[in-house]
Amino acid sequence: MTYLLTADHDELRAIVRELAEERIAPRAAEIDEKQEFPWDLKELLAQQDLLGTCFEERHGGTALDTIAQSILVEEIARADATTSLIPIVQKLGALPILLAGSDEQKDRYFPRLASGEWLAAFALTEAAAGSDVAANRMRATRAGDHYVLNGSKRFITHGSVANLLTVFALTDPDAGGRKGMSAFIVETATPGFGAPRVEHKMGIRGSPTAELTFDGVQVTLENRLGEEGEGFKIAMATLDRSRLGIAAQAVGIAQGALDAAVAYAADRKQFGQRVVDFQGIQWMLADMASQTEAARQLTYAAAARVDAQAQDLPYWTSSAKLVAGDVAMKVTTDAVQVLGGYGYIAEYPVERMMRDAKITQLYEGTQQIQRLIVARQVLQRAGVSTKG
Amino acid sequence: MSNDILFLAEFAGGAPARSALELATGAAELASQSGGSAVALAYGSGAASGAAALGAHGATRAIVLGDEDRPAITYAPAAVAAARDGGLALLAPATPNGRDLAAALVGLLDLPAFGPVRAARVADGALETEQATLQGSVITTARPVDGAPAPSVVLVLANTFTPAEGGSGTAEVADAPAAAESALAKASVTESHEAEAKVVNLEEATVIVAGGRGVAGEEGFGPLRDLAAELGGAVGASRAAADAGWIPYQLQIGQTGKVVKPSLYIGAGISGAIQHRVGMQTAEHVVAINKDPDAPIGEFADLFVVGDLFQIVPALTEEIRRRKGA
Amino acid sequence: MKIVVCIKQVPATGADKRYTDDLRLDRTGVEAIINPLDEYAIEQALRLVDDGAVESVTYLSMGPDQAAEALRRALAMGGDDAVLVTDPALAGADEWATAKVLAAALDKLAPDVALMGMASDDARGSLVPGAVAAVRDVPLLSYGAELKVGDGSAQVRRLAATGYDWIGAPLPVVASVTDQVGEPRYASLKGIMAAKRKPMETWSLADIGLSADDLRGAALTRVTDTRPPEEKPPTERIENLPAPEAAARIADWLAARKLI
Repeated sequence: MTYLLTADHDELRAIVRELAEERIAPRAAEIDEKQEFPWDLKELLAQQDLLGTCFEERHGGTALDTIAQSILVEEIARADATTSLIPIVQKLGALPILLAGSDEQKDRYFPRLASGEWLAAFALTEAAAGSDVAANRMRATRAGDHYVLNGSKRFITHGSVANLLTVFALTDPDAGGRKGMSAFIVETATPGFGAPRVEHKMGIRGSPTAELTFDGVQVTLENRLGEEGEGFKIAMATLDRSRLGIAAQAVGIAQGALDAAVAYAADRKQFGQRVVDFQGIQWMLADMASQTEAARQLTYAAAARVDAQAQDLPYWTSSAKLVAGDVAMKVTTDAVQVLGGYGYIAEYPVERMMRDAKITQLYEGTQQIQRLIVARQVLQRAGVSTKG
Repeated sequence: MSNDILFLAEFAGGAPARSALELATGAAELASQSGGSAVALAYGSGAASGAAALGAHGATRAIVLGDEDRPAITYAPAAVAAARDGGLALLAPATPNGRDLAAALVGLLDLPAFGPVRAARVADGALETEQATLQGSVITTARPVDGAPAPSVVLVLANTFTPAEGGSGTAEVADAPAAAESALAKASVTESHEAEAKVVNLEEATVIVAGGRGVAGEEGFGPLRDLAAELGGAVGASRAAADAGWIPYQLQIGQTGKVVKPSLYIGAGISGAIQHRVGMQTAEHVVAINKDPDAPIGEFADLFVVGDLFQIVPALTEEIRRRKGA
Repeated sequence: MKIVVCIKQVPATGADKRYTDDLRLDRTGVEAIINPLDEYAIEQALRLVDDGAVESVTYLSMGPDQAAEALRRALAMGGDDAVLVTDPALAGADEWATAKVLAAALDKLAPDVALMGMASDDARGSLVPGAVAAVRDVPLLSYGAELKVGDGSAQVRRLAATGYDWIGAPLPVVASVTDQVGEPRYASLKGIMAAKRKPMETWSLADIGLSADDLRGAALTRVTDTRPPEEKPPTERIENLPAPEAAARIADWLAARKLI
């Protein structure tokens, strides 16, 4: 199958780019330095209807296709990776409900998410269960007409600022993580929920990465997603789609770094000429540009397949995230190199972009996990049996 | 067709505006090329009594459109009646009032319009104008198309012509013929609010010291005021400084503010973005002081000083004072 | 209460612009935007809608087919519908011809207020509002920092040399506003999507009762020559000097030019 970039996609890109250049980019350095969640930019994005792009119109969303959603994330990430997490995580937190929720659950929660009035987050990871999702230990004990959640989660993006969480916990500990996990919608205003601390990080420092504690948090039956035991499947289906948001983020970070490097090199003179006139620098810029473009087009190809509900979706989304994350790290590192000493100091944005890029190789499935997923698909296509 | 050169002579508060004297001089120059007379269309309070004195600046005749202070466009019907004899050109000041009245004449009489022009002349018996277009990157020469109605309207910025004495001492004054009724006359000032402080008209200043974002505050304008005072000039600002409330809006120079043409413009802490540049690029001498060596203003200034304006501006004021005293 | 906002599509600020061989402005291949000063007129009209003073806002533009993009972008900010007047006879139109055409279109739309920005990025004459008012025989309220409407009249607050004045006239009026109106709003995503469904009509000269002859070739002036500006001597620079020395050098420079 092929995909098409339409005039609507171009228009969306132009609009978001204008907003990002005028309102988001000027705030990026401050957000990073102060490690503060940009509530003002969240309000701006909500007002511009940019937090509702994955929701249906009947819930107040704009139901954009997945390529358009990727373009939105890309253009924001080009200005600031932290801010791009706002639409990314809004979708990540809502995906379990989108995939497994009932119409009643969607009607109850989606309007507030689409309008940006509420923020959502996805609470799967635990201190001892990162790549190994099945090692989750948090419990959801059935007590008549509700469940009681006990345990804690770690490294939950926006966990401390979200109003709604999609949480994964064991309803049947004896059955193990794969078969005994269930998914729940939890409103963070519920008694017993806490977000005691956030991490100090290398990058995306304005995005709160929180530890969450659940101490006897009660969740009604109406807030369970799907059947008991379906949690692992829902989590995997969510990640199969949400990792595309990270791919788009990585493409945006890379583009921002490339643009900054070109602008600097065109201005800076050494040895009697512009830095950009040195062939060696041009070669670096060419590699940065073509690799970013390859990552971008792979991301769009994967996005098209999400909308086409392709059978081999994980092959595409994992490939996109794998390639884009590595490209972002390489391009931002090269951007710092192009700026030389100036690339290392905070007066220029590329050092922040390099620190921000690293996370795209780590969260929503490390690059190593992505490689396992792609390898499994490669072997399946070749008719080679795989273990486990 | 008449070879006269008409011009709008605005009066306010009982005296001629500086634009009236400048345009009188310009009209007289053109009239000497065309072989016609310079004719003033005078309006505003003081026009009736002051029109004759325009002769000292080159006007042969003056037609009084009215003697009240009201929006200039309300004088359009009278101006139409006065301009019915035609002429080669009608010079209008490129001020809001002047443009509105000129625009009305263009609309009512289907007149060709040029402007703002950097030069005008009569060539081969016809009007020829020069304008800087495309943000000053191209100089265009233009003429009215053959058979176009007359006169051609020519917008003129302040300081394009320098008022000079010339011609017979007094202009022959007449009242405008009766004018048609027009809805244009229905605009009127319903409320007037004076500011506490009088603000200099930057458009007429010959020396301007302007401050921008780099001045970083209302107090920052102090050294600029001192320098302006020492040079006998006025203080202006970029939009950034006006938006921040550091100086009144009337002192903003730029695309949406005043367009100025001083012989000396000193910009301190101003980056020189295009929106500001179009307001001052025709200044004769441009000096810029900025701590950013790559500020765009450095590309088109005549003299670009890289440094801290808070050190250099006071030092310059001191140096000028010293030289005056010596 | 109905407002028509006249907008113009212009080449993007800073885009490469030049004259063609036949001395017309070359607009091909250049990114086009809503004239930035017209955005303030749009914003002013939409604020009056937000305040409940105005019920409907229509956008009007004269231009080639491409100008429909500018109208869609305006509709994305708000407003109800749009009209594009386009005709091959209008190529190269000057401010006079523009005023004639807009005036005829406005007479057909018959708004209470015909609102414009104070100038266009490319033409710079600021003559269109006054000329339109004159052709339509309607009062002009120009250079407003703010526009108010109600009770059969409209007023603009205009900054004067000292302080400000309110200038008013009975409806209908032609008005123009400056950037003092306030920051224009961004088009929201829903606004952009809704704009695609809002009605846009295209009118030719015949639709507004004008003929090509009426417009005398669409311009009363013609460019006879273009040339680059006079070579300026390169910028002199003073750098890395302590302030007193820099000041002395500047003073020398000024003295050499008899400025002090």
